[in-house]
Amino acid sequence: MSSERRYTPTHEWIQSLGNPSLMRIGITDFAQKEITDVVFVELPKIGKKVPQGAEAAIIESVKAAFSIYAPMGGEVVAVNSAIESNPALVNSDPYGAGWIFELRVDDPAQWNSLLDEKGYQALLVSGTGGGH
Amino acid sequence: MALPLVPYHIKRQARMTDFHGYLLPLSFSSILEEAKAVREAAGLFDISHMGHFLVKGPGARQAINRLITSDLEAVPLGKSLYGLLPNDSGGTVDDLILASSGEEELHIIVNAGNREEDFAWIRSHLPPSLALLDLSIDQIALALQGPASQRIVSLLSRGFETMGRREVRFSTDSWERIWVSRTGYTGEDGWEFFGPAEAILPIYRTLSEKGPDLGLVQAGLGARDLLRLEMAYPLYGQELTPEKTAFDAGLDFAVNLRKASFLGKEQMLEKREDPERERLTGFVLTERGIPRTHCPVIDPSTGRQVGEVTSGGHSPRVGGGFGLAYIDPSFFNEFMKGKEAGIEIHGKIHRARFSSRPFVPGGLTKK
Repeated sequence: MSSERRYTPTHEWIQSLGNPSLMRIGITDFAQKEITDVVFVELPKIGKKVPQGAEAAIIESVKAAFSIYAPMGGEVVAVNSAIESNPALVNSDPYGAGWIFELRVDDPAQWNSLLDEKGYQALLVSGTGGGH
Repeated sequence: MALPLVPYHIKRQARMTDFHGYLLPLSFSSILEEAKAVREAAGLFDISHMGHFLVKGPGARQAINRLITSDLEAVPLGKSLYGLLPNDSGGTVDDLILASSGEEELHIIVNAGNREEDFAWIRSHLPPSLALLDLSIDQIALALQGPASQRIVSLLSRGFETMGRREVRFSTDSWERIWVSRTGYTGEDGWEFFGPAEAILPIYRTLSEKGPDLGLVQAGLGARDLLRLEMAYPLYGQELTPEKTAFDAGLDFAVNLRKASFLGKEQMLEKREDPERERLTGFVLTERGIPRTHCPVIDPSTGRQVGEVTSGGHSPRVGGGFGLAYIDPSFFNEFMKGKEAGIEIHGKIHRARFSSRPFVPGGLTKK
């Protein structure tokens, strides 16, 4: 089991739930600040298959709509219904109660294509992040 | 372009955004929290991007009056006036706030994105005997807005709290060229300040240091746009364009047809008679979704596009998604009588119904 979080250049995070094929996904603290007040989240349907990098959810904020891309390919096995009734959780607790969906991943090796904490922080410093 | 207060906003960790080439605070904490604070207490906005012109010389007021839809001659010295600057086909160059600072002196506040075009347009229509100055460079402009504004403005100890609605004062002492008015763009009571950075900075400091004790928060463009949209105030580039007239945008109150003629008047009247002209309409979504600028408006019974959203957003006060749209006259009447429209958002149709404007009562409409 690994509690390490990995990241995408489009500011999603992904973390194992104690099983290398079961992953939880959300957006980073940087992303929630960029997005501003989240008004609602269009969650994917359970059972939906998403390839790595495909749009999996849409976050609507006061400012604009933002696509949330799957950091790894897989099947959606859970969604966070708490953020449907309280979307502000995405802003207030992006790594905890504000998670978005869970995937059973197809190919655990895709993990290696993601940014680690150091790599993601370096991306923020260089300001070359895209997507949001 | 760097505006004078940018370092102060960055120090407060504001989320900054580009607006017509100006770096401005989008929000300091939360857009929704800031908007709420303005409706319930007060917010301080940096509006230094707004353009500020001075017209000087004999007949300045009469010359500008020939270019705008409203009547400067009907406004006493010391009162501000809202008006539009039509182009020669009856469309709109910009919308403006004007006030005379003397018999031969007139100040004009214009939109940031139109500053250069407005300047060129006005200059080309003024006699050479009149001077037109752009006072925008190194200017700080502030908007203090909200029901607590009167108590907060008294912190400045300048007597501004006794000003009447739409009153403008021009400082005659060391604060030369300062515009102070009891005006705003939020539907709430409030004051606006325009002037050289060194003159307005002490006002900013006093308000931002002492204001919070009276409920003042710093507010950004996100809240400003939401508040103006809740009041259905037009924004140039969205509701007002070079093609749209004041009549199209529902700004008939800002057009004085009895005053001496103004440039573009005949063309505006001609456009008003066009049976095909689109009408600006307020709508609210009856299901979850947030309409945005350019979303198509669909007639659900034919599937045909009958309009386009000019401004949209989400407001807890309105109760969800809402906005303004230009709608074909064929559909407009049915829509007003209660027929549902569809707003296409991310390829999906969301149901919407007509809403009167403003969408929420502001502090000024309640009185």
